[in-house]
Parts: sequence; structure tokens; C-alpha cells
Amino acid sequence: MNETQNIYAPVKAKVDRIIDESPLIKTFVLIPEKAFTFKTGEFIELTLDGIGEAPFTPSSSPFDTHKLEVTVMRTGYVTDRLHQIRPGETVGIRGPFGRGYPLDEFFDKEVIILGGGCGFAPIRSLIYNLIAEKDKLRKVTLCYGAKTPEECIYKPFVAEVRNIDKFEVLRSVDHANESWGEREGVVTLLLDDITVDINNSVAVVCGPPIMMKFGTLKLIEKGFTEDKIYLSMEKNMSCGLGKCGHCMMGNVFVCKDGPVFCYSEIKDMTDIWT
Amino acid sequence: MLETLIFDYTIYAPLQIQNTLDYQLLSSEDIPHIIYNTPKPVSPLKIFFLPIKENVVRQPPAFRPGIIIGCPACDLQAIDILDKIYLNEPFTDTYYKQRRENTILIGTDCHSQLPHCHCTTYGTTPCPDKHADILLSAIDDELILVPKTEKGIQLTEQLKELSSPSEEILSRLRITRNTIEKELNKQNKELPNYPETGQLIKNSDNHIWKKYARTCVSCGACATICPTCTCFLLVDRPGFEKVRQMDACQLPGFARIAAGEDQLGNRSVRFKNRYLCKYVWKSENLNSIACTGCGRCIETCIGNINKNELFMEIKGNEIK
Repeated sequence: MNETQNIYAPVKAKVDRIIDESPLIKTFVLIPEKAFTFKTGEFIELTLDGIGEAPFTPSSSPFDTHKLEVTVMRTGYVTDRLHQIRPGETVGIRGPFGRGYPLDEFFDKEVIILGGGCGFAPIRSLIYNLIAEKDKLRKVTLCYGAKTPEECIYKPFVAEVRNIDKFEVLRSVDHANESWGEREGVVTLLLDDITVDINNSVAVVCGPPIMMKFGTLKLIEKGFTEDKIYLSMEKNMSCGLGKCGHCMMGNVFVCKDGPVFCYSEIKDMTDIWT
Repeated sequence: MLETLIFDYTIYAPLQIQNTLDYQLLSSEDIPHIIYNTPKPVSPLKIFFLPIKENVVRQPPAFRPGIIIGCPACDLQAIDILDKIYLNEPFTDTYYKQRRENTILIGTDCHSQLPHCHCTTYGTTPCPDKHADILLSAIDDELILVPKTEKGIQLTEQLKELSSPSEEILSRLRITRNTIEKELNKQNKELPNYPETGQLIKNSDNHIWKKYARTCVSCGACATICPTCTCFLLVDRPGFEKVRQMDACQLPGFARIAAGEDQLGNRSVRFKNRYLCKYVWKSENLNSIACTGCGRCIETCIGNINKNELFMEIKGNEIK
């Protein structure tokens, strides 16, 4: 957590720019009042003044300390209001909180990343980080799925990553149109299209619960061991400090002990996919 | 002797008002009416450290030093878990911390019991052994004060007129304490102990939870009145202020996330969740008991749910 005297008080941040990613998803570029650092996979609490607070994992590079990006799907009370915000307005941020991606575990390995919908947000931050460390990696393959071509986010970023040595991006949409030249069907199908050196690989999954469930099962079917699958969990993280109890999942707090978990750490808990 | 302290401290002590024994703000006229050594104030001790609602961003007012008289052992034991949650580094809740540091806790041992008291089953004695700054017992009209901490020593030194109790009084106190402990053990002899209850809950099937949750109306009273339940909600106020408001996992929507997923959406799942938290998860995470056997949740439940009957039924089923 960045230095603060009061664990509940947000740091103010100005909305610098808003990028439309898809009909329901926008990226907000925020300039915090003071330098704000985070490790990839850690999350922040974003406050809309007087309205509410919600958890998001930054989608920007962890090396950018003067700006922070969050990519948000309009899906609830806070996100609905957030989508109405304009550049120049002020929001609050607290954090970062929790445990991010264990990059050391990825070194000298192939990294398979499975992402769905707005779950690309934490993954983009991770990929920025992996690009910086690419000399230490064997290969990075992103399998990304969305409902329609229109709903695929970060199109310019994907084009950029496809030009980087060692990085590959495969995409699939549930419902294709004529101009879509990539896969059609659920995202897990993309895993059939790749060859993986299973014993020297790790997998990262982030997306809606149903996709995370079937994605994880498919990875296990492909031969991944449970301790090599990293999941970015989403619960009702409210305080971010392991106190308020809203994100308790069995004996862990998603906010403090996660949000990134090894599948082996949480597989026996009930209701992890809801 | 308490008169002198009223000028310097905000004092709360248990007073009987109609049928209710609860902590009340003490005035000098109330002093003769303080109820000592009787279980137990309706309100759990946590209300002094975690108010129902508190603005946790605005600078708090300077707290007047406080004294709380008559804290029972079950509530003092609960302070253990509160401290572990709210004082943990680096995420110390400064509001909680200031209140704790500014408050002197005067514990009292229970010389009688209520029908649902079961502290001894969970390893707590009816005589406080932790977190009290002073231990107070009243035998006849004599008050016996034993300081337990530096804060307690300083306060008892201000009360110069206190005399040392006679050996006869001390002996009567020992006998009373032994008797009450035996009575409590007798009253709860069928009840499984704390770790055993955790195991029973872990191994139980969902059928029994559905049965007992049938009369649950999701009011959250059990959690609200529980001395160790401290979940809260952060409510936003204009000016980037936040209000820490006590919440309960038994209230619908507690775990609901955007787009509607809710792992505690089902009432019996919610109901079981609270006991898993109390008897399994919190004890694993915080190395402390999260039910101190005060019995308030049983007394308060408008659905007449008695968790101890539930545990005994699970135990009975397992034996069968």
C-alpha cells in the first residue's frame, strides 16, 4: 500500500482521458495527486465522491508511476456512474492491495494467458510487465475471448503485442461477423490451437467466473498441474485490508491473500466460481 | 471512590433499567446502583471500540479517557480477535486504536450464570484472565480491585481509600468462582468444545443447516450482538469521506458483486457461513477463538435458533 496516514482515506486522482474500448467498456486514464506505485495484479479501490467505491486491477504498466489506467465494464451502481464521468473530474484511489502475479515463478517458462471480456484489464498490465522481462521468458501466448468482434478490447495494444518477438495473441469471439478473420467459439477452444511444453509452463486465467471455471478445467485436462494455474479472483472487496469481511472466501480474504491465487490454494473451497 | 473519577473520565457501568442490564453512562447518583459480577450487559463490549457508524476519514474528535466497568470474561476474550483484526500492522485502524488506548477496562467475574452462558466449554473462565486492566469483584459491600496492567496500577493508585480484603473475603471469592465454573460445566456438559465444534461443522451435511435456517429471517441480530463479529461496510460521503458502518454476513447482499453474482445469496449457505467463520476460519487465521460462549446470539434470535442445539444435533447424528 502506498504511504498514507489513514487506511480509509483515498488519494485524489484527476481523470485525464477516457478511452472507449467497447460499447460497455471504457478505460480511464488517471493522474494521481502523488506518485502511486503498484505491482502487476494488485488492485485498487476507486472512489466516486459521495457515491461509492469499487475494486479494480489497474490495466496500465506498473512502470508508469505518474499515471494509472483502469478499464471498467458498466455493470453495476458504481460503474454506471463512473461511465458518466468526464475528463477533468476527480476520483479517489486507495491501495494498492493484495498479492499480484508472482513473476519470479514465470521466469524461464512459457506463459499461457487465458482472458475473457473485461478480464483483459489485469492481463494487459501483466503483459506490459512481461514485455519488460521478455529476456527471462521462453514465450508468452495470450488466448483472448469476447462475445463479438465489437466487444474485443485493447485492439491497438493487441496489434502492438503481435509484433513483439516471443509474444503471440490468439482471439476468439462467440459470435463472429464477416470481417472477423480469427476464431469463432468459446475462448477455451483456442487452447486446442496451441502446442505447449506443459512441464515448462505456467497459466494465468482472468475473466468472468464461468469462463474461469471452464478455462481452468481445460488447462488441467491439457496437463497443467493445479499449482501452475494462477487465477485472478473477484469478490466483493470493500476495505482492501482484510477487515470488513465482504470478500471472505473460506479462510482467505481475496483482498489480502489474493486476488491472485494458485488454483491449488483455493480448489477445495465451495463457491469459488460464483 | 468512583466519584473522584467521574470528573476525569467518561465512565460506563452496568445498570439495571427495567428488565435490561446494560452499560450506561455513569453519573454520581448511579454509583450505588451499579450491578457487579452479574452476567451480562446486553451490549457486547465491541460497541465502545467499533461504533455502529463512524466517519473514518474526517479527523476524529479528541477522545475523553474512558473507563468501562463490569466487562465480563466472554467479552474481554473477544477483544483478542478485535485487536488482531483492527490493530494489525501495517493496516492499523487508528480510530479503533485511539479508543482502545484511551479506555481502561475493568473486568468483573461472573458470580451467577444465564441459561445460555457457555464460556467454559470454549476454554474461557467466567473470571477474566486477559485484556482487563483491573479485575473487580464485589463480595457483600466490599469491592476488591486487582490491577492487571500498568494502566490498571495507575488508576488503582488514585483510589487510595481502598483497603486490602481480608483472607475470609478472598476465600469466599475463591469458593464462588469454583462453584460458578462447576455450574457452567454442568449446564453445558453435552455441548462439544470449540475445536470439536469446528470439526463437526466442517463435516456436517447441508441438510441440517437448511433445517435450522428455516426460521432465520436474515435480520443479522446474531452478528450485530456478537462480541467477535466485526464485519463492516464503507459508506461514501461527499468530500471523499467514508463511514465505517457495522455490517453482518447474515444480511442479504453482503457478498454480492457487480452483475449480481453472490456466493452467499442462499439463506442456509449464509447461515452456515457464519459458523464456519466463527469456528473454523477465524480460529485458523487469527489463532484465537471467535465464539466466546456468551450466548447472546441465542437470546436475541427472533427465529428461536439455538446454535448449541444445532451443534448437539450434528454431534448426535454423527454418533448414530
